[in-house]
Amino acid sequence: MAAIVEVKHLKKYFPTARGLLHAVDDVSFSIEQGRTMGIVGESGCGKSTLGRVIVHLLDSTDGQIIFEGRDITHVKGRELKKVREDMQIIFQDPFSSLNPRMTIRQTISEPLRLSGRFRASEIYDETQKVMETVGIPERLADAYPHELDGGRRQRVGIGRALALNPRFVVCDEPVSALDVSIQAQILNLIKELQRDHGVAFMFITHDLSVVKHISHDICVMYLGQLVETSPSDELFEKPLHPYSKALLSAIPSTDIHHRRERILLKGEVVSPINPSPGCRFALRCPYACERCQEAQILEEIRPNHFAACCRVREINQMEE
Amino acid sequence: MDKNIKQNNTEDILLSVKNLTVQYTAGGSVIHAVNDVSFDLKKGTTLGLVGETGAGKTTIARAIMRVLPDPPARIMGGEIFLDGEDLLKISEKEMRKIRGNKISMIFQDPMTALNPIFTIGNQIEEVIKLHNEHLSRREIVQKAVEILEMVGIVRDRYHEYPHQFSGGMKQRVIIAMALACNPSLLLADEPTTALDVTIQAQVLDMMTRLKEQYRTSMIMITHDMGIVAEVCDSVAVVYAGEIVEIADKEELFDHPVHPYTVGLFDCIPDIHRKTDMLYTIPGSPPDPSDLPEGCHFSPRCKYASDLCRSRGIPMKEVRPGHFCRCLHCDERLEMVPSRSQICQDDPDTADQERGKNGCDC
Repeated sequence: MAAIVEVKHLKKYFPTARGLLHAVDDVSFSIEQGRTMGIVGESGCGKSTLGRVIVHLLDSTDGQIIFEGRDITHVKGRELKKVREDMQIIFQDPFSSLNPRMTIRQTISEPLRLSGRFRASEIYDETQKVMETVGIPERLADAYPHELDGGRRQRVGIGRALALNPRFVVCDEPVSALDVSIQAQILNLIKELQRDHGVAFMFITHDLSVVKHISHDICVMYLGQLVETSPSDELFEKPLHPYSKALLSAIPSTDIHHRRERILLKGEVVSPINPSPGCRFALRCPYACERCQEAQILEEIRPNHFAACCRVREINQMEE
Repeated sequence: MDKNIKQNNTEDILLSVKNLTVQYTAGGSVIHAVNDVSFDLKKGTTLGLVGETGAGKTTIARAIMRVLPDPPARIMGGEIFLDGEDLLKISEKEMRKIRGNKISMIFQDPMTALNPIFTIGNQIEEVIKLHNEHLSRREIVQKAVEILEMVGIVRDRYHEYPHQFSGGMKQRVIIAMALACNPSLLLADEPTTALDVTIQAQVLDMMTRLKEQYRTSMIMITHDMGIVAEVCDSVAVVYAGEIVEIADKEELFDHPVHPYTVGLFDCIPDIHRKTDMLYTIPGSPPDPSDLPEGCHFSPRCKYASDLCRSRGIPMKEVRPGHFCRCLHCDERLEMVPSRSQICQDDPDTADQERGKNGCDC
């Protein structure tokens, strides 16, 4: 299958007073048409930065972003606007990502109007269609964001992103500000939209049960780097990297009859400013050894299942 | 009067909340935050208060602690017995002696609960000093260091400021402060919501350990059923200011009866279960200033009948120790013998993959 988005050795460094902050450090992956790539990691691991760099809300420091076979790393101005029609983002906080002075109809019709693809007379009908797709009743069309609850606001955010039928959408923690009963509605909506329109999603979240539910493939990030990428089911069944193992074991499960062994990590995430070249997880890793001082590369351990750990074979042999 | 009350309390019940009602008045409208909530907490156990944003969980905890801002909040009625003493009847001065000594509270956001201009050590010292007036300065410092080490923070960091600590460490400091005077009741209001999962695991593990060590009873407020499964002994599900279902953890997880509880379980994506579409509870939680008539959940409930909408629903014991606020609980109990059954019956979660993956919830 053809990759719709491909990222090669992407880097994003932020200059800070204490040195370079390596927010995204040499990340490569690709997302195929109509599939969802989940990006998981803890706060500060660079997952949101990665999403923002891909949709050009931030400039990359180094590396390549290829969209539908074309290098778009350095597109600007009118060209960028064209690219953005096919590439959108949904933000985490539905309370601050909508303009409080625009009605729902105005918010959703704005991208339609700006694209220049529609005549003024068509925009009304198009907006109506979008609202129907994302499940906003017509009576709310002239309401302002503050009149809506969180779930409906997030629907508006999704509607705005999908108005121009983009082929790729970055979802940056779209459900983490919502209550569970509303979260389920939004997750189902995203799945339906993918089924009906074949949109490819990059789904950024820290919630592992959500990511398992929605993604086909998953990348696990730690301090700006990918430590493991795998098809979703396989990752949850057999995580290879010690960090992924700990992360998965840390999720509180609602299953009260089968208590799982918890891997408790010692310490906390270290600073991403001027990190050492070795494995960034080594300080918290129960398996750390001398070889972890060297840079770790993603290696295909099983078909389509990559992990960046020098002892990965040994560790997993050991536990089998 | 105290004697009468003591007769009502059995030996092993630490906290007993009876018919607690709290309202907020805002801009002329009345917000019914907590309506007629009753529950008991046994010594040494943990009760989970589960519910969505605005369900009234935090208000219940703050009412127990008597730290609700008045106005706008007003405790309209009810009784809160701690060791047989009604906390709502004692003076503020007496209440001050109970806060910190007998009841402590951990707040959700560790970033704002600490004072940024005092060192961590200073802030722990203050707690100890307030509640142990007889201790010398040296003893206070010694105790503060002990407490800090108890939550796994090294002595060297005693003189650091909150901004030098990470979120997980700050929350551990707050837990240390809450436990400093060995309270008999700990109110934890979403203590790990602001933390990452690996740090959350550390903090929960530590809380469970300390709770056992000090034989503290706890009320754990959370919206995460997973956390309830990990740390609680019993569970109360709160919806629109009411407890809609309360039971022991095993009982509630295996045999949820109230349609809201069942929905709450089914709409969480489960990592051990493969479903194509999640079950959803239609609509959104009601506006607490304009609660629906009768059962507050009825507008979102597919089993709701006219009777449900006509009057308030009483709590009913559906199985021993398992109470539920639903008119249809008896028929539902027959319908939903266990949670695994629900997954198979529910048409909303129907999907092709379930056939081959089974339902191992």
